[in-house]
Amino acid sequence: MLTSEVRSNVLVIHVGEKRVDASKAPSFKDEMTKCIESGQNQIVLDLSAVEFVDSSGLGAIVSCLKRLGPRGNLAIAGAKGAVSRLFTLTRMDKVFALHDTVEAAVERLSA
Amino acid sequence: MKIRHILLTLTAFLGAALLVAVAVQIRTEILQYQTAQRIAASNAVREPLLLGANALADERSRTVVLLIGPDDEPGRRGDLLEARRRVDAALEQAEREIMSRRSDLRDTDRSLAALSHVTQDLGRLRRQADSDFAVDPGQRGTEIVSRWFKEATRIIDEVQSFRLTLLQQERPQEPALRAEAVLRTYGGILSESIARNQALLTWALSRGGGVPAAELEAVSRNAGRADLTWELVQGQLTAPLSSAVKTAIASANDEYEATLGPLQQTFLAALQGRVRPAIGPDQWYEISGRSLQGVAAMQQALLWSSRVRVDAELDRARWSVLLWTGLLLGGIAAVATSILVVRIRVVRPLEDLNSAMLRLAENDLTAPLPRGSRTDEIGEMSDTLRVFKANALRRQRAQQDKQMLHGRLKDAYRQLRKDLEAAAVIQTTMLPPASVLGDVRYCGLFRPSSLIAGDTYNVVQRSDGGVGFFQVDVAGHGAPAAMVSVASHQILSQAILTKPEGMRLEDLVERINGDWPEDLPYFTMILGEIDPRTRRGSIVQAGHPHPLLIRCGGSVEPIGDGGFPVGMIATAAYEKLEFEFGPGDRLLVYSDGLVEAENAAGEQFSEARLCELVREHSQVSTGQLLDRLDLALRKWRGSEKLDDDLSVLMLERLSERTHAHAHV
Repeated sequence: MLTSEVRSNVLVIHVGEKRVDASKAPSFKDEMTKCIESGQNQIVLDLSAVEFVDSSGLGAIVSCLKRLGPRGNLAIAGAKGAVSRLFTLTRMDKVFALHDTVEAAVERLSA
Repeated sequence: MKIRHILLTLTAFLGAALLVAVAVQIRTEILQYQTAQRIAASNAVREPLLLGANALADERSRTVVLLIGPDDEPGRRGDLLEARRRVDAALEQAEREIMSRRSDLRDTDRSLAALSHVTQDLGRLRRQADSDFAVDPGQRGTEIVSRWFKEATRIIDEVQSFRLTLLQQERPQEPALRAEAVLRTYGGILSESIARNQALLTWALSRGGGVPAAELEAVSRNAGRADLTWELVQGQLTAPLSSAVKTAIASANDEYEATLGPLQQTFLAALQGRVRPAIGPDQWYEISGRSLQGVAAMQQALLWSSRVRVDAELDRARWSVLLWTGLLLGGIAAVATSILVVRIRVVRPLEDLNSAMLRLAENDLTAPLPRGSRTDEIGEMSDTLRVFKANALRRQRAQQDKQMLHGRLKDAYRQLRKDLEAAAVIQTTMLPPASVLGDVRYCGLFRPSSLIAGDTYNVVQRSDGGVGFFQVDVAGHGAPAAMVSVASHQILSQAILTKPEGMRLEDLVERINGDWPEDLPYFTMILGEIDPRTRRGSIVQAGHPHPLLIRCGGSVEPIGDGGFPVGMIATAAYEKLEFEFGPGDRLLVYSDGLVEAENAAGEQFSEARLCELVREHSQVSTGQLLDRLDLALRKWRGSEKLDDDLSVLMLERLSERTHAHAHV
């Protein structure tokens, strides 16, 4: 479900699913936790392929942020449409740094 | 045809073939034995007949001598009686043999009749001879001797032909026996020829020169017959005869050739030339008597040899029958044993295996398997079947365990479902039915995606008359979300009712958010209140979809700027949105299950469609509007099932008049 790469010392995680909902949230959370525990603390989560995130999915993303803690950064890239609206509705745009593209997010985090 | 039938049939067939072959052999041997017995019987009868004929010839000669000459020697009558006794003894012996061997002889009645006829004739002839003896020798005519001789010869011929008939009935096939029988016949002819001439020439010699030509002719015939017979006897010597027989034949022949043969010719020549021969009748009688003894010895040797041969053949046939009968019994035992062994070692185990396999194939695992520890193919098949049964039993146990587990799971599921149904009833009971509080009328729509929901709502009135309300949507689904929804229902209802005078709504939410245990799922909500004194309402939007404000005039607008869900970020700050809420204005609060409901194509119902629908029906009553909404959503989904919990809460401020009416 997740593929990752390192760009300029930033771990970029691409989400390969169209929906991150209650059925996908637990495995999403597990895979993210593994990435975080591998030592990376500058992470960009690429949601450009995702069309829908429900409350469970949002909870999973937020729990990753909490796990990363103050020593790291989790930026969101490519959120659009319903995903973007959900972030706005729940004020997550105030919690996560949202970027239109992965490049922009990587550039910001690596700076 | 089954294997067991093939095996048993083959064994039985082979056994039957063997037994038939042996039985045929036994039958042959029995037939040979019976033939030997018949030959033995025939020989046993013919032997006394032969001796009887010889004895009768002797009696004939003695009687002739007594009839022709003066009875000057005292022993001659005694010798005749002795000769008669020998004849009688031989004939009685023949009769006894016929009686005792009745079963092995043919036409015994006729034989006995013939014998009886011979005895009667002989008796009559003897009586005649005895009366002739009483006549003075000088008075006896030649016709008396001639008649005696003819009659006695006729009886001897009868005995001989009777003997030959018996031989004809049982002609032996074995070459030596056959040759011996032929030789005995020749011996009989020889003996008779010599004996006739003994009598005839004795008579002729005693009469001197006056011998009738017919008598001489007869003597000549007898001599010729004897010579010819000797040639025939010589012709039989190529047969496999015993040395004793050969010696006896040679001895008799030598005797005849050396003395009697030439002497006979000499006498014959002399009598024909009416010359008186050199020796007298007594001497002739004695010489021919010796030759007869030689022939009789030859006959005895032949009889002895035949008896030995027939006895040997009888013994051989008897032993053969016994041997083959033994073989037959052995064969029967072998066949029976073979069938028994095939049955016990092959057929029955195969049948047992077969029936066990059929029962196992029908899932009858109680089928008993053949016992035993055989190392052959049947043992291997049996072992394989044992493994098969063990596996089947294991599978059956596993299946039973699985079914038991399945049963327990079903029970557990039933119990769980019962619990959930009870919980659903409780949850639904907590939701306020459509009602009016102060001048606010409210109405709800609640459709959980499963039995219990993470959605809840409530409307309460505080003691100061203010009407507080909330709608909650707990993250996730199922029992955890439902339990948290119940908890939040309780907490929020209490918080509204006990909110201190002057405490701001957003501070209340912040406090609840701050107190929310981190381990519990977060929830989104709209918490609001409607002031009974002013025409205003206020809400705090915590991550929940924007409520729609439906104005009295029909305009519809989403309100709110969003906000953090409760229980997600402990330090989150909240804002309150105040809005005008006059009589006839309505507020529609809904959970995301409404706008995110997807149709078959995966398209969401969306906020835009909701706004349009509400606008379209902005003039209908609250209850009807909720019904339309429910109907539209069902149509959109195309089914009764929902993926997410759905709840809608509508509040309406009544006009003064409606308010009063509502209370009526």
